[in-house]
Amino acid sequence: MLAVTIPDWVEPVARYIFEVGIPNTLRIAAISLVAATTIGVLLGTLLTIRFLPSRALIRLYIEVWRGLPILVTVFMIYLALPAFTLRLEFKPLTAAAIGLSLWGSAQIAEATRGAIQSIPREQHEAAAALGFGWVGRHAFVILPQALRRLLPPLVSLLVNIIQNTTIAQVIGAPEVLETAERSVERIASEPPAGTGEIHAFEIYGAVMVVFFLISFPLTRLAAYLERRLV
Amino acid sequence: MQGTAAPALSAMMLAVAFELGAFLDENATELAHALVRTLKVSVIAIAGAFVIGAVLGAARAHRVPVISQLAAVYVEVIRNTPILVQIFFIFFGLPQLANVEFVGVRLEFLRFDAFTAGWLAVMIWGGAFNTENFRAGFEAVPYRYREAGLALGFGRVRTFLNVTLPIGGRIALPSSINTYISVLKNTSLLYVIAYDELTSTALQINALTLRTLETFFVLGVVYLALVWTLSALIRLLEGHLALPESH
Repeated sequence: MLAVTIPDWVEPVARYIFEVGIPNTLRIAAISLVAATTIGVLLGTLLTIRFLPSRALIRLYIEVWRGLPILVTVFMIYLALPAFTLRLEFKPLTAAAIGLSLWGSAQIAEATRGAIQSIPREQHEAAAALGFGWVGRHAFVILPQALRRLLPPLVSLLVNIIQNTTIAQVIGAPEVLETAERSVERIASEPPAGTGEIHAFEIYGAVMVVFFLISFPLTRLAAYLERRLV
Repeated sequence: MQGTAAPALSAMMLAVAFELGAFLDENATELAHALVRTLKVSVIAIAGAFVIGAVLGAARAHRVPVISQLAAVYVEVIRNTPILVQIFFIFFGLPQLANVEFVGVRLEFLRFDAFTAGWLAVMIWGGAFNTENFRAGFEAVPYRYREAGLALGFGRVRTFLNVTLPIGGRIALPSSINTYISVLKNTSLLYVIAYDELTSTALQINALTLRTLETFFVLGVVYLALVWTLSALIRLLEGHLALPESH
């Protein structure tokens, strides 16, 4: 009989990562996804209006937040905004969520613009002929159709947001990677807190497995939707 | 409200602009060195990602047994795990095996310095995405082109080098440049292993000078200049390298 014994250090680490890390990771991801989708669809729709100043401003928003590394955006929010005024001082978790929302909304705005422009002119004309104004036309006719095409990029965005929540680790938000890092350091410290052993390989390897198990089904789903809907 | 806010805002902007000159006088050299290190890591990683992408992309597109399946696993693992965790794993996790003996060889080479771990991590990441870019590009080459190559007496390898690679490579160019841009942006994450690239250096300068606004303004401008230049390059190349047929 081959008995697999789980070492003593595993249980508290797993408990810490699953009870503290995972909920925080999901919290950051959920807030960012909702904010990015709302802002992104709105800006993407406004971007299709032929009015130069608004288009230039939205373009700038998209290119800036897509162009900056997310880490730099997060540092700007966490460190540079409080330098303007202390009212803009955020907790690490919030700062990371804002950074991811800015980046994600830029991605979704660009995707929305493409999706709306792929809807044939006739749909706009038919809706206008039925008496819909600009808002009604987009809310009831154009966007529901564009949303179908938006679904694959939205699922991809979700995968990317979940993976990029780890950037919150850098400013110390206790998400999965941060809880893993603290666990590695605690075990490596002298007794009684730790054992003085190093288990970075196992713990960071396990974090990769956790993320893989979350992401892989979602990337499959995105690929499936891409084939089905486009 | 409007009347008082506007002058206050412009005064603040002036203050920022005024300090910017002094800030650059003191820190430009250090930032320039950091920029060079960012570019050094990026160039190595991009070159590596190009080679990995072309080789494994070809193996995937032509379904070369064993290599194709291994490449698929590599691509899925890298694409479905966060790059930051990959960097942690390579820099903090792998050295744990450095004292282990594996079939008589001590795995000492798994202990990397920050520079090696840095380019290695972003190269492995970029290579996985590039494999997909090139696979899609090679698969988009019409079969009749390859048939024509074979009919001219080229072997399979020569057909690939003379027909599939130049045409499929052009098809894959825009998406692969997008991957290279992401590689460049991802070098900022090497901050966590204390490699002195742009972001690490900017944070050190910020900690020493407390000139937070100037630091992040300059950091943002440098990254946007790099990324926007590369994106402009895509649009330029797209026109130049478009396949004659699609004109």
